[in-house]
Amino acid sequence: MIPQLLDGTLVLVVVALAWRALNDRDLFRGVIEFIALGLLLAMAWLRLRAPDLALAEAAVGSGLTGALILSALVRMRRREQAAAGQPAGVATGPWAKDRAKNFSRVLLGALSVAMLGTLAWAALSLPAKARGLTAEALARLPDSGVTNPVTAVLLNFRAYDTLLEIGVLLLAIVGVWALRRGEWPAADLRERPLLLSLLRWVLPLLAVGAGYLLWIGASAPGGAFQGGALLAGALVLALLSGLGRRLLRRGRLVRTGLTIGVLVFGVAGAVALGWTGGLLQYPTGQAGAWILVIEAAALVSIGLTLGLLYLGGRPGEK
Amino acid sequence: MSTVFLTAALALLLTIVLGLAQVFRQAGRADSLLAAILFGTTGVAVVLLLGKALGIPGAVDVALVFASLAAVLGVAFVLRGWPPDDFPEDPRP
Repeated sequence: MIPQLLDGTLVLVVVALAWRALNDRDLFRGVIEFIALGLLLAMAWLRLRAPDLALAEAAVGSGLTGALILSALVRMRRREQAAAGQPAGVATGPWAKDRAKNFSRVLLGALSVAMLGTLAWAALSLPAKARGLTAEALARLPDSGVTNPVTAVLLNFRAYDTLLEIGVLLLAIVGVWALRRGEWPAADLRERPLLLSLLRWVLPLLAVGAGYLLWIGASAPGGAFQGGALLAGALVLALLSGLGRRLLRRGRLVRTGLTIGVLVFGVAGAVALGWTGGLLQYPTGQAGAWILVIEAAALVSIGLTLGLLYLGGRPGEK
Repeated sequence: MSTVFLTAALALLLTIVLGLAQVFRQAGRADSLLAAILFGTTGVAVVLLLGKALGIPGAVDVALVFASLAAVLGVAFVLRGWPPDDFPEDPRP
């Protein structure tokens, strides 16, 4: 009885929250609803016994994306205020009186429904009991160098996908940097002693947490993306309070950090190709060490990328 | 024993639902901000309880990530997102 009640409540609240987060007239409240949605989604994943997904949702989906959207909202509001001199941050409502906009909305809605239908058809046409590759992957788990099956798939069996994912992150930051120079919002720490004392505790905790998640990823839910999200959280805190400015002005250092993930991953792939004859096919018995090195480099890049995206542009030198 | 944990998780989830109902009903921005931060705290507890009830040791790490990123979100909200119209006076101490 209790589990069914819990599941039912979760499902109802998740759907209601998703609807409200998209439709709230007050965008600030929409952001808050989005963050709460991430929290509840992580609970739902945990309830479905998928702690890896819950961890990813907690790290990237809720906390960091919430901060990013909030920063976008503040920026948008400021621009609107500068443009019109009137209070902003209120959406025009789901049915604005703009025919072109309504048309594109209907079009987008129809496309989404078609997409949903296709996906539903694809899911329904699958055999009810598919064998999949689970058995093969689990059988080769001892060869993968790690004991967490998710990490084994992401960093060994299908490492190529992960390499490209890290490349996509690099592309994202290159795109953002190409568009504009980022603002550097910073509080004056001398005026905020409470913030300073919080940072003294939280920054080291976040850094240690990132390393912990990276290390534990070999045997339990965790890994470079989750650890990178914590690192990015630390970076966002540092940016908000104006710490580490001098370090971030050193462009070459920052760029090295941003690319080191792809570089190390690519070089590892090339070396493995020469050594074993297969792209990203690690030498037998050493896979664990290779994965750790690749993930450590990826952690730095992911953390820097996600954190610097918060600036909304390249760190400008005035 | 796991029923006790699940019941506690359900009770905490219901407090989140009540808080959300308040946020939905045109609460002030400062109110909804505080609600979000409190949801984070409750969420950590729910995640821990779910992990205990279902026997998922990794839940502790999920709770850890939530707790650490809640600090980031709180600071970001206060420094960047604090709506100026709610606080016309000088926010500096």
